[in-house]
Amino acid sequence: MPVGGPMNNPKPAASAPMNSTLAALILATFLGGLVAGVTIYAVTDKGAEANPYASLPRAAEPAVTADVARALATDDAKGLSNQLDMEVLQQLQTAIEPLTDIRSMKFVGAVEKNGRTLAAYVAGGRTSDGTDVLVGFVLKVTGDQIVGVN
Amino acid sequence: MVRTALAMVLVGGLMGYAGTAFATTMVADSGILGGGGESSDAHKYMMALLKREADSLSQLRPAADVVSRALDQQNVSQQAQDVKPLSVTYLGGSSSGRLSVHIYAVEIQAGSGQYQFFPLALTIVGGKVVRVE
Repeated sequence: MPVGGPMNNPKPAASAPMNSTLAALILATFLGGLVAGVTIYAVTDKGAEANPYASLPRAAEPAVTADVARALATDDAKGLSNQLDMEVLQQLQTAIEPLTDIRSMKFVGAVEKNGRTLAAYVAGGRTSDGTDVLVGFVLKVTGDQIVGVN
Repeated sequence: MVRTALAMVLVGGLMGYAGTAFATTMVADSGILGGGGESSDAHKYMMALLKREADSLSQLRPAADVVSRALDQQNVSQQAQDVKPLSVTYLGGSSSGRLSVHIYAVEIQAGSGQYQFFPLALTIVGGKVVRVE
């Protein structure tokens, strides 16, 4: 009997292809599982329910609301007081609560129907206690006049 | 060998499922492929609100006590049943971390013929609608 049995002879020439085959098989099963996971998600995902209602076409940002947004973003109280009457200013004050320090202003979209335009904005900033918040508000425009705020 | 193969299929399957769910949600919310960045949670809330689905609405709101939920159910059931939504338009939104704001324009027609055109702003924190105005 030769020195060393089968346990002491690793047969390196034969095990290398074996290891490669094993690695390829493991990779193939992993990829197979990955594809199966994607397929199962695609089949079972209901997705967001489509909007069953009509949508209005987008309108451009009205100049009058752009001026108000600019005044808010630049902390221009005098400009705001010139552009809006007291009732609308009070509505705006309520709409942007609890923001006290506006640091960003983004126009997100507008729609027009029957002569009334809704122009939507998102303001970012801080509350009186320093918390960062986002607040959405909508300026209602009729005939180049801001008639309300939501 | 068989156990390893099964483990690989399982791990691959979970990664494929979770990865696809994460990627599709991110893409839909960012608006890269259209949709304007409308959050799926905001969309579901609006649909439930207009269809008066109290259970769906409560699932999309933060956890509340039983009395608050009962009041929500009553509010929904007492809304006028003959209100017909004419259009729902997603105007846009913005997000910062877990906080996002999404704004819609809604047209409704009441049974009495009264027409209303108004905006709704939804504030969402961590997938729950915390403010509607």
